[in-house]
Amino acid sequence: MAQAEAAPVKYAGRSYLLEISFVTALYVAAVWFRPWLIAQAASHEMKLAATVLPALPIWGMFLVVWRYYRRIDEFERQRFLEVIAIAFGVGSCLVCTYSFLADAGLPQLAITWAWPTLAVSWAITGAIFHIARR
Amino acid sequence: MRNQLPALRAARGMTQANLADRLNVSRQTVNAIETGRYDPSLPLAFAIAKLFKCRIEEIFEP
Repeated sequence: MAQAEAAPVKYAGRSYLLEISFVTALYVAAVWFRPWLIAQAASHEMKLAATVLPALPIWGMFLVVWRYYRRIDEFERQRFLEVIAIAFGVGSCLVCTYSFLADAGLPQLAITWAWPTLAVSWAITGAIFHIARR
Repeated sequence: MRNQLPALRAARGMTQANLADRLNVSRQTVNAIETGRYDPSLPLAFAIAKLFKCRIEEIFEP
């Protein structure tokens, strides 16, 4: 789609880097302060809020990725969706494979490992496609 | 899909980056269209045609 009235596409990458850096910093801070906040919580509700705190920047990351998707042009969107489809397919297969291996005695991992696995899979697939398309 | 975009652009002394700015797409997108790796959507094809004051079929051919 031509985007004559939209924000310039050429700034999409720069905006994305700024925004993703900001929410990543928030995530690191939330993880860092989480144990202290849980220890300080006076009520069950406060403890629950402190426990779930790192999930908020994760939702922020999703929002940042969505904003990036909305800013890029049609060709970049096609490539973006192609990379994400392959990466999440590979990531899901990795998680599934490991769950079978865990049944055979490997350490059980928490479900919170699923998101980093998908994120790393996405980053690696993106890098491979970026190099291959040059 | 073959196209006359490189010739039209060169005739006007435009770089891929200039054209990308005018169309509000990335330079990579202009490059992909010019080299036939990507077929633009109808709205983008119309925007290109309008910019060069041509009909779509004068720029793109199957």
